[in-house]
Amino acid sequence: MVAPGWYMALAAALFLVGALGLLIRRNALVMFMCIELMLNAVNLTLVAAGRALNDINGQVAVFFILVVAAAEVVVGLAIIVSIFRLRSTASVDELSEMKG
Amino acid sequence: MPEINWLAIFPELTLALGAAAVLLVEVQWKPRASTLGWLAGWIVLLAAVFTVFQWVWAGDQLAAESTGRLVTFSGMFLVDGMAVYGRLALLGILGLGLAGAHGLYEALGRRAAEAIAITLLAAAGFSIMLSSNNLVLTFLGLEVGSIALYVLAGLTRERKGSDEAALKYFLLGSFASAMFVYGAALLYAGTGQFEILAIRDHLAAVIVARPAVIFIGLGLMLVGLGFKVSAAPFHTWAPDVYQGAPAGIVGYMAAIAKIGGFITLARIFVTGVIEYHATWAPVMAAIAALSMLIGSVVALVQTDVRRMLAYSGIAHAGFAMTGIIGGEIEGVLFYVVAYAVQLIGGFAVITAVSGPEGSASDLSEYRGLWRRNPGLAAGFALLLFGMAGIPLTSGFIAKFGVFSDVWATQPWLVILGVLTSVVTLAFYLRITVIMYMEGEEGDPIPARASTRWVVWIAVGLTILWGVIPGTLLSFVADAFAL
Repeated sequence: MVAPGWYMALAAALFLVGALGLLIRRNALVMFMCIELMLNAVNLTLVAAGRALNDINGQVAVFFILVVAAAEVVVGLAIIVSIFRLRSTASVDELSEMKG
Repeated sequence: MPEINWLAIFPELTLALGAAAVLLVEVQWKPRASTLGWLAGWIVLLAAVFTVFQWVWAGDQLAAESTGRLVTFSGMFLVDGMAVYGRLALLGILGLGLAGAHGLYEALGRRAAEAIAITLLAAAGFSIMLSSNNLVLTFLGLEVGSIALYVLAGLTRERKGSDEAALKYFLLGSFASAMFVYGAALLYAGTGQFEILAIRDHLAAVIVARPAVIFIGLGLMLVGLGFKVSAAPFHTWAPDVYQGAPAGIVGYMAAIAKIGGFITLARIFVTGVIEYHATWAPVMAAIAALSMLIGSVVALVQTDVRRMLAYSGIAHAGFAMTGIIGGEIEGVLFYVVAYAVQLIGGFAVITAVSGPEGSASDLSEYRGLWRRNPGLAAGFALLLFGMAGIPLTSGFIAKFGVFSDVWATQPWLVILGVLTSVVTLAFYLRITVIMYMEGEEGDPIPARASTRWVVWIAVGLTILWGVIPGTLLSFVADAFAL
């Protein structure tokens, strides 16, 4: 059996990949996927921690985070689609009406 | 069988069911936007009545138990003075926000019902967040509130500023939420608890073998909540969102995010992990100092009133955070409410001047405002003085409160705070000078009755709490007596 610590290390790596991706990539859709990756890293952490602590709470929390991620998809994709309709691009570099 | 006390969540239930009712009424009768607005107003009043009832009822019950708080829903949900105070503040701001957004709702036409429902849900989310004892529930409340705010930022999505504001707020806000929940997960991994009170007891009783996991978790939660209250260096979304989102709703968005964020910050850090005070206080002090500096200095060079208020909001986040650093809560509770009222009043003026849907508010629009609408100009000037913290306004009492909380431990922060307050005064005065000393005669600017009410209520509260601070301070004190 693989020790839960390794899963948590993997989750930390996934979270970092997501966070860096969000900061580096310029396409709104890809940035959005990076956020989902971060949330899934959290889920993996919770499952591993729940297993390590022999506690059900961590595994239950995962369901809540899944639901929140789904709600974010609903609003996020709607915003991205509406931007794409207005400007025919999903690159955040084009979104620079406001500065200062 | 878990103990379930429905009375504890009546205010949130009222808001959520009320949002559904607004949508159903729209489907069935298609009334005018102002009718829906009145319906929402009655829902808010009902929720406020329930909250006051809770205050009285919980007061009796808690006096008997003498634990200071009622924990229900198997430890998920708290009713204590801080929760009741925060809820009443949110409901008050919600009422003012609905009135201030009246013009926006009318301009939205048939979409007004959705906008009103989401306005109600945002307050319900933050209300759950600040009454939660469980970090997962805190996250759920945070997301209910935040997702509603992303939608509100994009209400006038056919305008280029609004859709840009919505996307920026959404991407950075979700990033912050992910940070927060990862922090909560690490805190769970480190302590085995989600419940804030249980974490406090655990940390007090046990010497943690590997505190690093907990420290990283706390840091991530601080970053996540720092984003929500727009503290530097996590403030980059604030100016764009304040500028791009429809003017009618920005004040509300900013105000409830600040109230929810700061009370939750106080709950987690002061109630929950006070054991590690020596570790988190310096980090928070650095964030507060940076917020004050960046907010006040960058605001000086802005030419858009909304961006200026956004940067001033960043400075205010720094001021309010100094209240938490001392490990006290009274100062910050007073501060966020006083500031939220000023903010929503200020944005009501901006709504009148630049139109409820507008996506920019250049300083030049305010030239000679006192000739074009003397009442608005006077109200705006008084609110700006309140934000600057001139004596006899609530801003002064609020700043005095947070600074005196931290004076004993971090005097340098107080000195920096006073200096940056002087800097912020410069740009508040600049707007006032532009309103009163520049510009020629122009067309009068009409303001709707609802906007005038919001401005004058905000001005009235700012002066009332400045001259007789006891009117709000006694509530804050009660929040602790409970």
